[in-house]
Amino acid sequence: VRLCRCGCRALLSRPAGALRALRGLAAGPEMHFGFQTVTEAERREKIYQVFESVAKKYDVMNDSMTLGIHRVWKDILIHKMNPSPGTLLLDVAGGTGDIAFRFINYVRSVRERQLQRKLKHHQNLSWQEIFESYQKDKLNSLGDSQVVVCDINREMLKVGKQKAQHLGYSEGLSWVLGNAEELPFDDDKFDVYTIAFGIRNVTRIDLALQEAYRVLKPGGRFLCLEFSHVSNPLLSRLYDLYSFQVIPVLGEVIAGDWKSYQYLVESIRRFPPQEELKAMIEDAGFFKVDYENLNFGIVAIHSGFKL
Amino acid sequence: VRCQHYPPLRALQASAVLRRVSDEHKKEPLTSSSQQHFDSHPAGHQPEQEPQGPHPSYTGQGGQESEDYESEEQLQHRILTAALEFVPEHGWTAEAIAEGAKTLGLSVAAAGMFHSDGSELVLHFVSECNTKLSELLEKEQKLVQLGEAEKKPIDEFLRDAVEARLRMLIPYIEKWPQALSVLLLPRNIPSSLNLLTSMIDDICHYAGDQSTDFNWYTRRAVLTGIYNTTELVMMQDSSPDFEDTWRFLENRVADAMNMSNTASQVQSTGEAVVQGLMGAAVTVSNAETSRAVR
Repeated sequence: VRLCRCGCRALLSRPAGALRALRGLAAGPEMHFGFQTVTEAERREKIYQVFESVAKKYDVMNDSMTLGIHRVWKDILIHKMNPSPGTLLLDVAGGTGDIAFRFINYVRSVRERQLQRKLKHHQNLSWQEIFESYQKDKLNSLGDSQVVVCDINREMLKVGKQKAQHLGYSEGLSWVLGNAEELPFDDDKFDVYTIAFGIRNVTRIDLALQEAYRVLKPGGRFLCLEFSHVSNPLLSRLYDLYSFQVIPVLGEVIAGDWKSYQYLVESIRRFPPQEELKAMIEDAGFFKVDYENLNFGIVAIHSGFKL
Repeated sequence: VRCQHYPPLRALQASAVLRRVSDEHKKEPLTSSSQQHFDSHPAGHQPEQEPQGPHPSYTGQGGQESEDYESEEQLQHRILTAALEFVPEHGWTAEAIAEGAKTLGLSVAAAGMFHSDGSELVLHFVSECNTKLSELLEKEQKLVQLGEAEKKPIDEFLRDAVEARLRMLIPYIEKWPQALSVLLLPRNIPSSLNLLTSMIDDICHYAGDQSTDFNWYTRRAVLTGIYNTTELVMMQDSSPDFEDTWRFLENRVADAMNMSNTASQVQSTGEAVVQGLMGAAVTVSNAETSRAVR
């Protein structure tokens, strides 16, 4: 665990700022946990507990909160990635494996199309040769693509592994326990690094971005799918209404956990908006950094390349 | 909202891939070398470049951004050039670009910098071909000016220029129909039209066209028509070394030459006819007046 440095970003001007002055210095720099103010160590602990308690109902809650739209968002992320067979993906904070499974499906279908095209060209082979090449390619249905799912929370990984077994995903998939701020991987290893709805929960975002830069190969791509800032005022009000009135209630009714979902909604409001996150990604050394708003800014996909 | 804004005070970090321009451009004349010696920063520093201008050593007025590293545009250029050799196998697609990136030592994910339909690859190729054609025509013109070669008659010049340009397609001829369809995508039409018109303009210019009237447009329109139709004929030509195509080209150029002769002939015939009618009218009116007088 890295020692905390006093490099905290200035907290946004909220009433909590005044409270902070009254609290006095606690152990370590002050951070936000939803709309509360806590120390860095406390924040990690609290977030771990949040996800430990929601792990089993995570997918169900996602569906009910976003009315199933989160599936579309994740599909769009994979389409934007457009992975070719042979790609090595690192999915950080990938807990229950949504991105990993979609990646595997996509690569499989691309590979099938590739094989079909190859077969069309091989018009002059003997039956034996065709049979052999078919066998060889059948064994390699993913074309050497692999995905590593990394998450800091054991419970989320457990749920993910169970899901994989249940849905029949076995090859090309591995599960690793790790902290996004200090990844247990070597430099220059992965083609693509994704973090879907996870970077909001990372305590030191700049460290996570630096780690992302480190483990990517030259030319590798960083993709971040996260809730972001809605600029349209009407939509923003409706969204706030929905977030603060409906979601915690759903959390209590479905998962029996009001506070975790209160945290979720608050953490979305605390997260930096699109441009600021883009600047942070550029600071980590990425090039061609850009973002795409989905649903008017409710969600944004940031993309950068290690060049 | 997309913006490509690079603040000058970015964290100083050595780029993993963008090469030092000084490696590439060693032969460049260092007339503005004073710019390069401006370096007050340490060696391994920020490679951000102004996107415009292919010669980074001469840009950068502020001097804060290094002029030693290539820009992203140049890297993209390199990737696309490397990708061209994979086109016969994979077509004009993101796969070819991914393979190209691999040969440069980059991850296949670098193909994500481009559109997934291969547009940039096709446009890059067309632009390269046009540049090669310009250089070829420039060289030929120099030879003529130095007196080492004879000036070709117009129809032969046009024929040779169009043939030279179309021959550049031969290595990719199998996948060229796909490239044409990509060029016709609404998103690409402004760029592809731009490239086409500038190429035709180049040829006309080197052919010695100095017209300043409406002929300027007519000539280019005719040549564009010749080029496009010949290209289409080439797509489905299976004769050895595309002989049929070159013969088609010859006929079309001859037609174009005849057309301009015919046009002037028609004009003079028309004038003659009009004069005849005028004369007849005058004769008739004279006859009438003389009868009236009698």
